[in-house]
Amino acid sequence: MLATVFSATLSGLEGRVVRVEVDVAPGLPGFTIVGLPDAALQEARERVRGAIRNSGFEYPPRRITVNLAPADVPKQGASLDLPIAVGVLLGSEQVHGSAGPWALLGELSLGGEIRPAPGILPMVAALAAAGIRRLVVPEAAAGEARLVPDVAALAAPSLRAATDVLRGRRVRGRSAPPSVDLAPLPAAGEGESRSARLAAVEAASVVPDVPDLGEVRGQHEARRALEIALAGGHGLLLWGPPGSGKTLLARTIPTLLPPLDDQEALAATIVASVAGAAPSGLVRRRPFRAPHHTTSYAGMVGGGPRLAPGEVTLADGGVLFLDELPEFGRDVLEALRQPLEEGSVTVVRVGRAATFPARFQLVAAMNPCPCGWHGSDESRCVCPEPVPRRYLARVSGPLRDRIDLWVMMPRVAAGEIVGPVGSERSVAVAARVAAARRRQAGRQGRLNGRLRGNALRRFCRLDPASSSRAVTLAELDAQTARGTERLLRVARTIADLAGSDAVDASHLDEAARFRSPASRLDRAIAV
Amino acid sequence: MDEALACAVLASAAGVGPATLTRLLATFGSGRATLALAAGSNARSRLVGVLGPDGGPVADALIAAVSEAESRAAAIGRAGVTVLLASDPEYPAALRGTRDPPPVLFVRGDRAVLSATNTLAIVGTRRPTETGRRIAGRIATAVATLDGVVVSGLAVGIDGAAHAAAVTAGGRTIAVLGGGHDELYPRAHRRLAAEIAEHGGAVVSETPPWVRPAAWSFPQRNRIISGLSAATIVVEAGHGSGALITARAALQQGRDVFVVPGPLDTPTSAGCLALLREAPDAVRVVAGVPELLVDLGLVSDGPRSRPDSGRAALAEAGPVEREVGTLVAAGVGTVDALVAATELPVATVLAAITMLETRGLVVDALGRYRPAGGLLGTPRPARRPRHAPSGRAPPVPW
Repeated sequence: MLATVFSATLSGLEGRVVRVEVDVAPGLPGFTIVGLPDAALQEARERVRGAIRNSGFEYPPRRITVNLAPADVPKQGASLDLPIAVGVLLGSEQVHGSAGPWALLGELSLGGEIRPAPGILPMVAALAAAGIRRLVVPEAAAGEARLVPDVAALAAPSLRAATDVLRGRRVRGRSAPPSVDLAPLPAAGEGESRSARLAAVEAASVVPDVPDLGEVRGQHEARRALEIALAGGHGLLLWGPPGSGKTLLARTIPTLLPPLDDQEALAATIVASVAGAAPSGLVRRRPFRAPHHTTSYAGMVGGGPRLAPGEVTLADGGVLFLDELPEFGRDVLEALRQPLEEGSVTVVRVGRAATFPARFQLVAAMNPCPCGWHGSDESRCVCPEPVPRRYLARVSGPLRDRIDLWVMMPRVAAGEIVGPVGSERSVAVAARVAAARRRQAGRQGRLNGRLRGNALRRFCRLDPASSSRAVTLAELDAQTARGTERLLRVARTIADLAGSDAVDASHLDEAARFRSPASRLDRAIAV
Repeated sequence: MDEALACAVLASAAGVGPATLTRLLATFGSGRATLALAAGSNARSRLVGVLGPDGGPVADALIAAVSEAESRAAAIGRAGVTVLLASDPEYPAALRGTRDPPPVLFVRGDRAVLSATNTLAIVGTRRPTETGRRIAGRIATAVATLDGVVVSGLAVGIDGAAHAAAVTAGGRTIAVLGGGHDELYPRAHRRLAAEIAEHGGAVVSETPPWVRPAAWSFPQRNRIISGLSAATIVVEAGHGSGALITARAALQQGRDVFVVPGPLDTPTSAGCLALLREAPDAVRVVAGVPELLVDLGLVSDGPRSRPDSGRAALAEAGPVEREVGTLVAAGVGTVDALVAATELPVATVLAAITMLETRGLVVDALGRYRPAGGLLGTPRPARRPRHAPSGRAPPVPW
């Protein structure tokens, strides 16, 4: 007998509705899956067989054919285990009735438990968009599923529970069997406002395990640069010898960023869901990703057999921190150029392509040379003369052009470390960052770090005195046009932090401190 | 082809050093005559006759060089350098008086500066301490402001600090290269070299422009640094530092040598102290920049008439810049220290540093700020001892 069940699969960050057709026919016992299944899905046969047998059902000794429609969409992952198993049970008439209005999502264990699968949120959203609003989802993914409005998602712990749900629906009016541990979730959008609902779940997404800015001693210049960078969404490079506190400073970033707004939060939650993070609610905290420098190209931009999002997408809306920047592979660094410029990245695989969002802010740290001591007082550097220059050159010019703020971090004097004076705490800085971001949003609808060309000139208007000062500063090390634009962008953010509508000469002067050292390396490093 | 280019072509042959070239010129009369001979028949045996029984390879190299004389001359022209022969009246007399003066000098910039008499070599390690850099810069600034000429080797570290300070102070300076002009080393100093040549100074090499520097060519050129200078100052040098070779060459050439003394347990002072121990009678100590100027005879003894240039340089600046500038001049080099000392907001301190930087009073080096230009000005000199210890050389007769 033929049974049809709805489910979904992932394509990039989007869900696709899949019709699972199971035909249980007489003939030699067998199990065939057609419809472009991937390797994980081919193995569904074994899981489904075990799960059925161990849930107290009988595995039918018949010819079983599973068709996944539409036939031309590649299906991936194990989230189709559950609908296949239910289809087999319906087709062999061990469970009666049609699962017509229901969609099922979940991976099965051999024991029949339902396991979470990555990407439940976008799959539920796709099903809802197709008009399928009653779902059985894994328990662990219930939080994600309920973020989609107007959807009734039931969290089922096992295959047996899932079949009971289908039966319960069929015999309307009867109470569900008491043995079933169902966790009904309220349909969203009834009575309570959307943002109130989001606020309720956001508390769960806060995971505070990061140092406070108050723990960073000294480094006033770098702290200031970080504040400006986060306030304006500028690329930032921290440069200094080992032990100067670059990594510690960067790790405080999550405490300084304002939470995501509703739209950004939904996008971030979808990314987290596809990445398999199984968010328990809406992700409100801005992402902070710190991939190791051995990260591969696919790990950075996305790809792999599953066409999974990479670090640049996981950092969407937040910060991508690259420690030891020159140690990253050259192709990995070059691949950052497209997302830095366009805010998205396109990954192409044979027969498939996906565009992932990648509006991240780049924060990087590096030593001045491979041994790390170049330019420090102690003359401990063992690198021959041209090495520090070559080390910087590993970061290509186009990438360096996209870093607005450069800050040198000398080692902190012992007095600063043992001294009693506490540094400013994250809360105060975060408040200034949030206020400056609000000013920018109100004025131009985006962060200063994304201002270019005419928009920059429009929102960073200079009076004659500041204009001539900007020219002086631009000529200081014969800045290129890009260098001058960087100066203006940073000055705009400094003015925003000061609550000033006009950009004046002192803002420009401070911005000039953070200009790229590449053009003055002759003087700065070598002399 | 004129005589200077002809000699330059001869000097470009592998194995032809100063001694060989001098012998060739003495035997055949001129560079052009030698060129003609090497291009003619029977050249090899005649050259070997001059060069001696082991001179075969050198003779071959000479013949090869002469065969492409035109292209080599063109390459010299392209490099934008002029050729200065030892026989030229413009050739620096101080250098000609040494034991083995280079027969040919390739000069970029102003040739006249080479004949200046008030020249002072400032040399030292390529890995100096902050203090060493600052002292080199202060000495160079002081010498440059008094119209002296700073000579050094364009290396990173002390050399570069001395050149840069002299250029910033608007003075003239001479950089002596270890290789050819087209192979400028270190490459990091290409811009500094260009500035030296533009500001009335000169960049000098004894090898043709296309010759790459080799490890042995640096000690070789050190004799030119000391030979061009009336006195040589070693600011910081470790054991085996090339600066010690320069100092020893200066002693052999009968020039004055000064060392900046340092603590016993600092590696960068070891070479300076070793020099003092080696030649206690010949090597003199820098007891302070003003004292050095007096010892060099650049300024007369007694109260200085010049105002403190650091204070003068800051006279036009605003109160915040003046405060920050005074601290940087005193050696307070990081933003942390400046913020702690002034108790001003970071933003204010940063803006003030940029102000000072655009005035040429502060340079930024990897998050450390160093005084430059007028801020490198020297404080008042200490009184000179009434009776100078005996056995000391008289001031350099400038």
